[in-house]
Amino acid sequence: MGTVNISRKYTATQKTYLWAIFIGMKITFKRLLQGFFLRKNNTIQYPEERRDYSQRFRGMHFISVDKNKTENCTACYLCQTVCPAECIHIIADERDEDNNPDGVKKEKRPLSFDIDALRCCFCGFCEEACPKDAIKLSRNYELAVTTRDDAIYDLDFLKRDVKGRG
Amino acid sequence: MEMFDLIAVMAKILFVIAISLGVIPFLVWFERRGSAWMQGRVGPNRIGPFGLLQTTADVIKFVCKEDFVPKNANKFFYHMAPTVALVAPLCAMAVIPFGSYLVLGDHTVNLQIANMNTGVIFILAFAGLEVYPIILAGWASNNKYSVLGALRGSAQIVSYEIAMGLALLSMLVVYGSFNPHEMVAWQNETIFGFLPRWGAFVNPIGALVFWIAIFAETNRLPFDLPEGESEIVAGYHLEYGGMKFAAFFMAEYVAMIMASGLISTIYFGGYGFLPGMQTILNLATEYFSLGVAGVQNVKALLEFTSFFSKVSFFMFVFVWVRWTLPRFRFDQLMDLGWKILFPLSLINLILVTLGVYFLN
Amino acid sequence: MSNTTEIEIKMPKVDLNYSSFKKPVQVSADPAAKPNPKVTIDGKVYDFAPGDTIMQVAERYKIHEEIPRYCYHPGMPIAGSCRMCTVEVEKAPKLMTSCSTPAADGMVVHTRSEKVVKSRTGVMEFLLTNHPLDCPVCDKAGECELQDYNFEYGPMTSNFKEEKRVYEDSTTKKLSDKVTLNMNRCVHCERCVRFTDDVTKTSDLVMLNRGYKKELAAADEERGLFNDYQGCLTDFCPVGALTYNDFRFEKRVWFLEKKASICDRCSKGCNIEVHSEKDVVYRYMPIFNEQVNQHWMCDEGRSSYQSLSNPLRIISPLMKYQDALHSTSIETLLGSISKELQSASSVELVVGTDATCEEAAYLKEKMPEVIKNIRLSYYNGTNNVTTSKDDQKLDNLLRMKDKTANTKGVEETGLTALKNGEVSSEIAILFRSGRAGIPKMKADQKLILWGVWTQEEIKALPSKNILGVIAGLSTIEKIGSFKNTDGILQKFAPAIVHRGNGLSVKSVVSAWKSLK
Repeated sequence: MGTVNISRKYTATQKTYLWAIFIGMKITFKRLLQGFFLRKNNTIQYPEERRDYSQRFRGMHFISVDKNKTENCTACYLCQTVCPAECIHIIADERDEDNNPDGVKKEKRPLSFDIDALRCCFCGFCEEACPKDAIKLSRNYELAVTTRDDAIYDLDFLKRDVKGRG
Repeated sequence: MEMFDLIAVMAKILFVIAISLGVIPFLVWFERRGSAWMQGRVGPNRIGPFGLLQTTADVIKFVCKEDFVPKNANKFFYHMAPTVALVAPLCAMAVIPFGSYLVLGDHTVNLQIANMNTGVIFILAFAGLEVYPIILAGWASNNKYSVLGALRGSAQIVSYEIAMGLALLSMLVVYGSFNPHEMVAWQNETIFGFLPRWGAFVNPIGALVFWIAIFAETNRLPFDLPEGESEIVAGYHLEYGGMKFAAFFMAEYVAMIMASGLISTIYFGGYGFLPGMQTILNLATEYFSLGVAGVQNVKALLEFTSFFSKVSFFMFVFVWVRWTLPRFRFDQLMDLGWKILFPLSLINLILVTLGVYFLN
Repeated sequence: MSNTTEIEIKMPKVDLNYSSFKKPVQVSADPAAKPNPKVTIDGKVYDFAPGDTIMQVAERYKIHEEIPRYCYHPGMPIAGSCRMCTVEVEKAPKLMTSCSTPAADGMVVHTRSEKVVKSRTGVMEFLLTNHPLDCPVCDKAGECELQDYNFEYGPMTSNFKEEKRVYEDSTTKKLSDKVTLNMNRCVHCERCVRFTDDVTKTSDLVMLNRGYKKELAAADEERGLFNDYQGCLTDFCPVGALTYNDFRFEKRVWFLEKKASICDRCSKGCNIEVHSEKDVVYRYMPIFNEQVNQHWMCDEGRSSYQSLSNPLRIISPLMKYQDALHSTSIETLLGSISKELQSASSVELVVGTDATCEEAAYLKEKMPEVIKNIRLSYYNGTNNVTTSKDDQKLDNLLRMKDKTANTKGVEETGLTALKNGEVSSEIAILFRSGRAGIPKMKADQKLILWGVWTQEEIKALPSKNILGVIAGLSTIEKIGSFKNTDGILQKFAPAIVHRGNGLSVKSVVSAWKSLK
């Protein structure tokens, strides 16, 4: 390992550092006054104020539903296939004919549809692969859970009502 | 000793302790809010008006926390360390005068807990005690990070004590006395008719060295080497939780108050009037047509105000510096202490001694 | 876990292709013989046998992998109805269907000329007018010929603006309990109808109506499909019109790992492809072997994978302790049964005829070294078959009476058949791979079970006096060879890794030997 020596010429004032310290103190004092009198700050008071993320922000998943509250998902496994984190787990089943007002388009249904959010990398590939626009990523970024089990989103949870980007 | 003196001393002790401990919550609050303002943040603003009760919440948390003792710690020294840490700077405050004297009937009350002729030596002695809690805590915790933090802390404090002592010595040469009252009295004159004859103006290099040294003595940034999250976790108080940690925490602030009081007394005129206060006193005397005792009492009150504002200013400076300067590396710290401050204060002592010798 | 390398057999290379004409044309060594006729396809000259169609020549030489086809299937008569396989023949006025045009000496054929591709694009567009876009739902997606050819030749857009044809009644219609029909997806290639007519000769599928309303239906509505090869319909259906219920919606085909193996459900020894993911088998599919099973396999064999993943299958050595069987290690088990065997007056080992040739030979050679005075015999016990002479065909295609895979092979090792089909020794060791029958025995017969057993089978045993169970490997988990009913020796390698503590015969015997 080679060592690179960088030498600079310092003036006597610079060598004492006192002037530089004084300038630094001046800056912080100015900031203090600004903060105290003008209330100048960059903080977002989180639970009350929220940052407005881009429309393209990819947050918590959901599955879109049709007018009968039936999921649009037909368990085609394309999301599971494309998922680089392997966090989607689908079990397919035959859809009950009687509960199938849309006929042949929905002969297959997901019996279970689990997304392991702890594994998910929010790449959005599932959304892109989905031929039915069923799985989508909402703009919800509040993904905190109290137990690990809560981080595995099941079908009922994914079918929740999502406002905004839907 | 008369009953009155006894009560007066007790009252003064109570007053000093109450003031120094009572100021701490505000100081902590200001440390947080002030740093937030300096950094363009908001700071704690949830609990109480302006977040003032945040410290109260912290105290409740500290009190409610488990009183944890590490398994292999030396119990006696482990518990002794935070006590010493808190008591030593409080004791040092005994000889710092916060006013001249009050007149209550026939008695005069000296506004200083103990009026000693060896006052400054006493302060130095107790300031020197500050190294012990660090070593005790670090060693008694039986934790390698604590020991490392303690070693760093003690090395730092011992190194800077020399520079501090020499800077103080240079002022003792000027004042020719160990008694704080006499120092204040000496500084209560003016140079060239307008500039107060404060130690800082008489001996600026000494003042600078002393000021830097007390930062190191109180383990404040940029000299907070005994701690260090990335290197030695929390340093010497790593194994302390709950109220024992709170004691260390408070000790830091008490030490700051003590150091501020010390530098005000020795270099910045102590309880001596700030410019303009004499006018206020004269006006008050005329307006209320006070007697001799009354004038003295109002004077004492103004002196206390002066002292308190000076101490407050230095405490503010402590916070201000903390959020401005980055911390030192340990070798840089030792460089500064031994290669710059020590020779500088030594040369300064010689110069001041020669100056005093030839001018007198 | 894996016991794959213990019996060394050189594996034949199995080509996973449905093509039936892979053998090159025999060129006679005699210079005086008449030279083979030659055809030029895409600028190259090929020999062919007289009578070959252009499709067959292309198949044989694998020209451009294959000529696209829907109605053509090498195992069935030629229909020439889909027009997908059209090729350009020079001097012919229009495009010719390669499946039905015999190759002639000196013929010049272009399989990918601009004209041909344009024609195929047109065919694809017509096929797709009424084909629903339900690939996400369709089980065929991923192995669908319509998808593949559309990707290769199909138009990017469609001019069809009208409503797509929907068969209301035949959208998801169960033709039998094995096959589901979705008529909307059908491209009317009629492979399935020709299969039932000419291969199974049951004629249980017909096309009703004509033109736009042409519809596939079971010939007998009430009876539905009844042939024994319904799985084959779903194999060769080029689209997802016919799907196999057992596999329906179970797995998308692109997840499946494909390994060749041999079906052990009867003595025919059909060549199969084991489709598995993460060592869980999802289905068997037949692969072409001209001598054994052509392109087909029966439904019984097709569903025989289920016994592998049977949750009641014993996949860990069990030992008798206080009148109950407990899971244990193989050393403990063998140590415990060895004591019993030493004190027993007579011991016999009954090898099921579902054992591989190697296993049977190994047992015959090594078991007398482990247990002295052991009597060895083999036992079949399925459909009253005792020896390979009893075996006979159940229909005109593949199914055999003997439901074990290797009766001939076990016989050839020199073992004799179990006398009267009844065990008589004090302790009987029953070795089987889950297919052979269970011999008659006394009600208190001491038994040691070896190989593939399920809890149901153990419960159904006449005797409850079981000393231990040595878990073994099933056919597709092990390496070996079978001699089928026609005397053809077929070797196979493990298609999946055994998920459990079952051990190969060689590991068990060597553990047994090292015990002493």
